Amino acid sequence: MHKEIKRALDNIKKEKFLSLSNILVMTVTFLVLGMFVIVISLTQTAIRYLESQAQITVFFKDDFTQDNILTIKNKYEMDNRIDIINYVSKDEAFRIFSEINKDEPVLLESISASILPASLEIKTKNIKHLSTLAEEFIHLDGVEDVRFFKDVIEKFKFWSSVFYLGGFTLLAVFMFISYSIIMYTLKATINAKGVELSILKLVGASDTYVKNPFVYQGMMFGFISSGIAGILILLLSIVVTISGSLKNGILLGFIYGFSIHPIVFALVLSVLLMAFGGYLGYLGSSIAVKKYLKY
Amino acid sequence: MAQIEFNKIDKQYDDFNALNDVTFSIEQGEFVFIVGHSGAGKSTLIKLLIREELPDSGTILFEGNDLQKVPYTELSMLRRKIGVVFQDFRLLESRTVYENVAIALEVVEASPEDVKNVVPNALNMVGLAKKADNYPKHLSGGEKQRISIARALAHEPKVLVLDEPTGMIDPDAAEDILKILYKINSLGTTIIMTTHNEQLVDKSKKRVIRIEKGKVVSDKKGGKYRA
Repeated sequence: MHKEIKRALDNIKKEKFLSLSNILVMTVTFLVLGMFVIVISLTQTAIRYLESQAQITVFFKDDFTQDNILTIKNKYEMDNRIDIINYVSKDEAFRIFSEINKDEPVLLESISASILPASLEIKTKNIKHLSTLAEEFIHLDGVEDVRFFKDVIEKFKFWSSVFYLGGFTLLAVFMFISYSIIMYTLKATINAKGVELSILKLVGASDTYVKNPFVYQGMMFGFISSGIAGILILLLSIVVTISGSLKNGILLGFIYGFSIHPIVFALVLSVLLMAFGGYLGYLGSSIAVKKYLKY
Repeated sequence: MAQIEFNKIDKQYDDFNALNDVTFSIEQGEFVFIVGHSGAGKSTLIKLLIREELPDSGTILFEGNDLQKVPYTELSMLRRKIGVVFQDFRLLESRTVYENVAIALEVVEASPEDVKNVVPNALNMVGLAKKADNYPKHLSGGEKQRISIARALAHEPKVLVLDEPTGMIDPDAAEDILKILYKINSLGTTIIMTTHNEQLVDKSKKRVIRIEKGKVVSDKKGGKYRA
C-alpha cells in the first residue's frame, strides 16, 4: 500500500499541470455543490419561518367563561399538532385593538372591552394541521367563529411542498452532475496514460498494480478538492456569523424545530463533502481504469 | 507432452470466421513461423495464446493446463511465462531504454538487486547495453524492436511470441532481430513468430505453419514461406 501511494504521488508530480487542473475543476464542482446545499437549506429555513407565522384564531361567545376557554386551552396544549396556543382575553383584545387604532380616537370611543370577544391564537407545528384544527374548533361549544387565511395557507402549503420536493430533486440532479463531471475529469487523467497502462498489463502487471495507484490518486484529488471547497464554505459561514445574519441558526425543513449554528452547519457540510469527494474519487478512478484491466 | 496444444479451435467475430478447426502442437524449445495473408487468422492465434481472447470452441493447453480455465487473477502469472512482442513495439516514450526493460520487473515488484542483474543481461542479449540511457525516440525501428524483445525476456519466459516483429523495420534490422531470436531459442526458449517476411522464413529453415482463411493448410519442419 505504501508503494502504491508513492506511485500515486509520483503520478501527480509527473503530471503537475494536469493534476492541478483536475483539482481546480473538482474544487469548483464541490464548491458549487456545497453552495447549492446551502441555498436549499436557507430556502427551507425561510419556508419554516413563514410556516411558523401562520395561525388560526378561535373567537368565543360572550357568555363562554374564561375558565371554560382555559380548559380548552389546557386540553389542546397536550395536542402534539400544536406548537403554541395563547389565550387573548377581552381586555387583552381591547388593548391590542387600541394599539392598532391609536390614531382613530372616534373609533376607540365607540368600542369597549366588552364588545370584543376573547380568543385563542393557535400556531401549529405544520401548517397542514391548520385546516383540520379549524374544523374541530368550529364544532366546540362556546365557539363563535374560527378564522384563518384558508386560501393563502392552501397556496402556501402547495408552494412549500413544491420547494421541498423541488429542492431535493435539484440536489439529487446536481449531485449526479457533480458525479459526471468528476468521472469525466478522472477518466481524462487515466486515458492520458492509457498506452502505459496497456503496456503494464502486457508485461504481466497484476490488476491491483495497475489500478490501485489511480484509485489512491482519485481519492487524493477528491479529498483535496472537497477539502478546499469545505474550507471556503467554512470561511463563508464565519463571515455570516460575524455579520449577525442567521442569528437563530439554520432550520432544516425536514426536522421540526431543529436549528443549527451556521458554523456547525458548514463544518458538517464540509465533512460530508470530503466523504463524498473521497468516495467519488475512489469510484471514478475505479470505473475509469477498468477498461485497461480487460487485457 | 507438448508445451502448447491447439485442439479444434474455432473463433468467430460477428460474421467473420477467424479460425476454423485449428489443431497443432508445439514442443518446448521449438522455433515456429506462422505465416499467411493478412486476415488469415495469425494475430487471432496469438491473442488466443496469450489469452487476450477466448476461443468459441476447442481447447488450448499450455504446459498441460487449459488456458480457458486459468482464473482471471492468475492471468498476470501466465503472461510472465509467455513473453509477447508486437509489431508497433509498445514502448514507453517517456522512459529510457533501461527503464522500459526494468518496468517488466517493477510490475512484479522485483527487488532492486534483481532489476540491476536482469536488465543489463537482457540488454546485452539484444545488443543495446550501450544505449541503456537513451530514449526510444532517439532509436531506429530495429533498435526499438530489440528493446521490446529485451523487455519480454526480463521475466525469462518459457515462450516468446512475436506478432509481425519485422513489419516496421528495414531488412538488415530484420536479419539482426532474427539472429537475436536464434540466440534466445538456443537457450531453450520456444519462439513463435508470425510474419510476412518471405526471405526470413525461407532462410531460417524452421518449422512453418501456414494459415489460410482461418485454417491450417500446411505444417512443415524446415518448410518454406510458399510451401
